[in-house]
Amino acid sequence: MTNLSRRGLGLTAAGLAIGFHWGLGSAQPAPPPATPMLRANPRLQAWVRIAPDGRITVLTGRVELGQGVLTAMRQIAADELDIAPDSLTLLSGDTAETANEGVTAGSQSIRFGGEALGIACADVRATLLRVAAEAWNQPAATLTVADGVISGAGRRMTYAEAASSLSLARPVDAQARRKPVAAQQVIGTSLPRTDIPAKVFGQQVFIQDLRPEGMVFGAVARPPGYAARLDSLDMAWAQALPGVIAVVRDGSFLGVIARREEQANAAAAKITQAARWRDGPAMFGGRDVFDHLLNTPARVTTIHKVEAAGPAAARTHRAEYRRGFQAHASIGASCALAVWQGDALTVWSHAQGPFPLRADLALGLRMPADKIRVIHAQGSGCYGHNGADDVALDAALLARAVPGRTVRVQWTHEEEMAWAPWGSAMVVRLEAGLAADGTLGSWSHDVWSFPHSTRPGSGPGCNLRSAWYLENPVAAPPPSDGPLPNGAAARNAVPIYAVPNQAVTTHFHAAMPVRTSALRTLGGYFNALAADMFMDECAALAGRDPVAYRLAHLRDPRLQAVLRRAVDLAGWTPEAVVRKPLAAEMIGTGVGLSKYKNSDAHVAVVARVAVNTGTGAVRVLGLWAATEAGRAVNPDGVTNQIEGGMVQSTSWTLMEEGRWNAGRMTSDDYARYPIIDFGTTPPIRSVVIDRPDLPSLGVGEGSQAPTGAAIANAIFAATGRRVAEIPLTPDRVKAAMAG
Amino acid sequence: DDVDVDPATPLIYVLRNDLALNGPKLGCAAGQCGACTVLVDGLAVRSCQLPAGDAMAPIAITTLEGLGTPDRPHALQTAFIQEQAAQCGYCTAGMIMHAAALIAGKPAITEAEVKEGLDNNLCRCGTQPRVVRAVMRAARQGV
Repeated sequence: MTNLSRRGLGLTAAGLAIGFHWGLGSAQPAPPPATPMLRANPRLQAWVRIAPDGRITVLTGRVELGQGVLTAMRQIAADELDIAPDSLTLLSGDTAETANEGVTAGSQSIRFGGEALGIACADVRATLLRVAAEAWNQPAATLTVADGVISGAGRRMTYAEAASSLSLARPVDAQARRKPVAAQQVIGTSLPRTDIPAKVFGQQVFIQDLRPEGMVFGAVARPPGYAARLDSLDMAWAQALPGVIAVVRDGSFLGVIARREEQANAAAAKITQAARWRDGPAMFGGRDVFDHLLNTPARVTTIHKVEAAGPAAARTHRAEYRRGFQAHASIGASCALAVWQGDALTVWSHAQGPFPLRADLALGLRMPADKIRVIHAQGSGCYGHNGADDVALDAALLARAVPGRTVRVQWTHEEEMAWAPWGSAMVVRLEAGLAADGTLGSWSHDVWSFPHSTRPGSGPGCNLRSAWYLENPVAAPPPSDGPLPNGAAARNAVPIYAVPNQAVTTHFHAAMPVRTSALRTLGGYFNALAADMFMDECAALAGRDPVAYRLAHLRDPRLQAVLRRAVDLAGWTPEAVVRKPLAAEMIGTGVGLSKYKNSDAHVAVVARVAVNTGTGAVRVLGLWAATEAGRAVNPDGVTNQIEGGMVQSTSWTLMEEGRWNAGRMTSDDYARYPIIDFGTTPPIRSVVIDRPDLPSLGVGEGSQAPTGAAIANAIFAATGRRVAEIPLTPDRVKAAMAG
Repeated sequence: DDVDVDPATPLIYVLRNDLALNGPKLGCAAGQCGACTVLVDGLAVRSCQLPAGDAMAPIAITTLEGLGTPDRPHALQTAFIQEQAAQCGYCTAGMIMHAAALIAGKPAITEAEVKEGLDNNLCRCGTQPRVVRAVMRAARQGV
């Protein structure tokens, strides 16, 4: 009964939001049904298995990326099955075992994968309870379960005993009812992460720690540029380099297998130097990337348009914002292991999608997918589509030269930075019509961008880099942009503010001299950041306080709630932003607000910064955040993701930008592509507003945009001058101060 | 164990691939990130920058495995678990090893000193605030 009312509440809230947005003619959709993962993977044994000895294994197609998802899945399963979390065995991301849940990305694991796992576990519990109820001739409702033992009427039956009398080899009952919130005991608690102890004691956790018997080391000799191709190499010379077991050449794919890791890396570097390469054309025709984005042909699509009566515009405001290329820059470079046994291939990978990777491995290697098994093992932190997938093909191509032996390839950091996909450079232009009192009557958002998703599994074609360099290459599929509501280039381009006339137009460049793909939030960070910078400029034109101006344009109570909470937490003096006379150091406070993907976490961030107007250096004095994402399965996990995102976004916003030469990206180490350090990490305070009455929403990417917007707006508030290009480097800040 | 390698081989490869130790992590291999930090006679050193030939006995090398175990954890290992001071955990070993040298015998170390001491250890997931809390917690217990 409680369950029904919980669902009823959830639907009511969603219904209100839909009705409201439709009132504005927005494309905001109903939340997708919770069971697509069960439709795609209906077998109960793909989710839960009970061994004859009573051991319970739960399986998830989602993978651990350092976001704590396996701890949250364990909580969900333990709660629905009424067993202790640590008594479960959890299997994750194995094409021979687990459900195909596509890619672990987009803050969707708990919302979709967790719901599916929860329903499967609830189905198992209810099924086993019915066995006991029938055996004892008792109503199931009178029975209880604790630690996997069913009790009632003075009798006991273990799950294993109950399971022995029936077959669980059947589809999941998708109608199985999950526990009501009030009965949950593990969900909603901050269960400590199950993977952290092994990580602090140096136990085998990471893919880099796998050392199968007889393992050898591989490395790829990269061309001098992305478009360069191999003319010739003295193979006999390469074969004689120290420690080399085999040199592999297939077209312009060139790699080496050696007895030792450092020998493989050294040989690959020497081979790159010694080989004769043909250079390709200069990237972007030698022009600036923003010039390229704005002034070369792109596919122009108006993907969102709303027209309604609104106040007459007394003035128009226009602005342009830019962001350069940004990188994943993981601490550990991508790694994979591969071994061929006959015509079968086994690959260990930390890719976000074991099944999509398998599909593209099959294309790149021209072999049937069912001869390939991909097993997930954890890698260094992953913030989207980095080199994890590519290195798996590298390992497989090299391992073909030594059948029966496992080849491990761990890219160098320089290789990861130069050859993994980058987050796209982008330009956003905004235009708004303001009524005499400052109220927004129209809002248009144009975004110029390269692709944000060129992941494996996008077919037809292979999205693993080395496939493009083979003698008989397998080309990448034509990149596409993601459609609304969640979007890719236009993610978060639909305004969260109530404006009667709205338009969103994409200028999509499918051709990408620098390969781009998913970096945490896709286009969401920059679109929402640009929109919230623009919102502050509109507020300033209207002579209004930025928070009050936002509240006047907000109809979503959840966004209103996080905004109010964040400014309460930080302290906020309401005043309009005005241009101020320059002082040596100027301090200001700004706010950023976002509803990730227009469907998930609600996050407001307040930033306080000090601007040195002489040097242009910006110091973030403090960040405050309020987050609401429905039911928090693990509140500390939510906090860790939100705060970590705030630190990462501070780094993106103030310091990160990739540079290139004619052939490739050159920002390939931490000196040329610095990331935030302890000294510049600001003090952070964040609160989570738990809404157990509402379904869990994706949270892992929620704080990126509002953090960036808050910092940019704090500089604007401090000085009254706008720095419109991310990152907000000292040079750019200094130049803006002179303006 | 005896290991037969070129003495110029960076120590990280010997620790990980010859001695099968998981603690030190290969990061940038250029001394910029700190993931491979180990203790060399009690001093924090980046094992990607130290030739294995310079690390032979009687010099004592301590990795994360030697700092403490689940049965006898070092205060930093306990504190990192208590503060849940990790996301992916790839930088964690280097953070703990560097911090072990930093706080040894300094129970009154300040937060500013901890931040300054760890300034060249990079974390990409953004766990710096938690790492500082964990290190301060361990330092206060006296190690």
